Amino acid sequence: MSVFLSSLGFGLISAAVLAIATVGFTMQFAVTNVLNLAYGSVMINSAFVTYYLNYHAHLNAWVAMIGGVLTGAIASYLLNRFVFTPFQRRNLPPITIVIVALGVDLCGTFGLQAIVGGSYFSYRQSLGRERHFWGMYLSTLQLIIIGICVVVMGLIHWLLKYTRLGKAMRATSANASLARNSGIRTQRVISSTWLISGALCGLAGTVFAMNTGVFEATSAQLYIVLLLAAMFLGGPGSAYGAMLGALTIGVATELSAGYFNPEYKEVIAFVVLLGMLTFRPYGLFGSEKTI
Amino acid sequence: MSVELSTSGKVLRATSVSAGYDGRAIVHEIDVEATPGKVVSVVGPNGSGKSTLLKSLVGVVPVLAGTVTVGDTEITNLAPERIAMLGVGYVPQIDDVFPPLSVKENLEIGGYLLPRHDVASQIEAVLEFFPRLRTMMSRKAGKLSGGERKMLAMGRVLMLSPSVLVLDEPTANLAPLVATQLLEEYIRGFADHGSTVLLVEQRAKAALRISDWTCVLSGGRVVLSGAPRDLENNPLFVESFLGGGAARA
Repeated sequence: MSVFLSSLGFGLISAAVLAIATVGFTMQFAVTNVLNLAYGSVMINSAFVTYYLNYHAHLNAWVAMIGGVLTGAIASYLLNRFVFTPFQRRNLPPITIVIVALGVDLCGTFGLQAIVGGSYFSYRQSLGRERHFWGMYLSTLQLIIIGICVVVMGLIHWLLKYTRLGKAMRATSANASLARNSGIRTQRVISSTWLISGALCGLAGTVFAMNTGVFEATSAQLYIVLLLAAMFLGGPGSAYGAMLGALTIGVATELSAGYFNPEYKEVIAFVVLLGMLTFRPYGLFGSEKTI
Repeated sequence: MSVELSTSGKVLRATSVSAGYDGRAIVHEIDVEATPGKVVSVVGPNGSGKSTLLKSLVGVVPVLAGTVTVGDTEITNLAPERIAMLGVGYVPQIDDVFPPLSVKENLEIGGYLLPRHDVASQIEAVLEFFPRLRTMMSRKAGKLSGGERKMLAMGRVLMLSPSVLVLDEPTANLAPLVATQLLEEYIRGFADHGSTVLLVEQRAKAALRISDWTCVLSGGRVVLSGAPRDLENNPLFVESFLGGGAARA
């Protein structure tokens, strides 16, 4: 029972990090039609910007995180502006854009490795006091990360449901042509989506690095597997599905790590995904492509 | 009808318009003029280019030659959102609503260009025009019946009180009674309130009943045009559209 509860605790924190990342990832896919496999590379580059602001500029890690968030937003915006959009304008098939994204991911990750080397890094940050809840052990840092996740999910819900921009994003996702005929400047909506989802990517990269404690340039390389599993489990393009998918994958992978070998976490994520897709091919919330 | 429809419709004019995809014209040298308070219909067999013509007028399909104007403003090849801003409301034949959004959200998106404080009152105005929508405001548009969905599509466009309404086969896939109501009550009503209406319609007889002027398209070209009464007396038109198998009431 103690293994189960402690693994569940780790699962919740993994799910919190994964939820922030997956919601941004799925928003990009829904609104812009780009399956951005370079997401993990932007995450880890953002985490390193936070690291330099924290370690070398001596900023508090939470303040330095703002730099990571901005890096994610700006890098994603620029990626769309100068890489994905020019390819999309040439009406190339979606698989071409996926290959381009994969290339960008490799360049981003190994370019970073060329700069920072193969060493391990960690933030100057205390984990805080360890707290005990119903058999689960969580540090203050992990509780703060879960709190950040809850606040971010609330903000995303508010954005999509109650703001003009959020509704325009959902309309663009559902039918971009009709959205334009309704007067929506969809290119602006798409640019805003890259900025917002990029900010989520930067935030996810930083909290991912905080949660793992030590990280290197290639730490997020396999994270794309968890992202894809969480996104397709919830239903591609569904923000609420992404939240549920992240919770399921986060908890399932940590439970499996508690009972089996932690090396197989990504494999377990895909086993859960395959099992789910056998019964619901479009995922939990994926009957319609929308955020 | 107390909906705040525009009573200052503008003239929509297409002059020698050729339009199509990938540089290949589907419609050729089309001249059409729709004026305020009138319904102008475009009829013709499947594949004659009716929908392509409408799409070219609202910026969805590129105009390869000729000009399109609304009032004194040239809108040839402007982006669809710019054309919407200039008061042209377009209801496509299919994919005419946002299925995952609720009815209320669809109407809100229709009023995207309105000042925020005017959106609620304009939704109220549209609901007076289409009272059935009031009972389904929280329902997803994708769950509506064909008739309800078309009402929502029209309501969405009316949110901006457009000067010009461009409607692509609004009665497609609707039951005959619903189609008749839509054409005779609502679409004719738009024109009677001063809007300019350009309508593509497969049901030739029904289109003639509500139209002030009708163009017949075949092979991407206008082969006949005139007042409905004149067309009804034209043997070629009667044979092709009212008496033959292609005709639908």
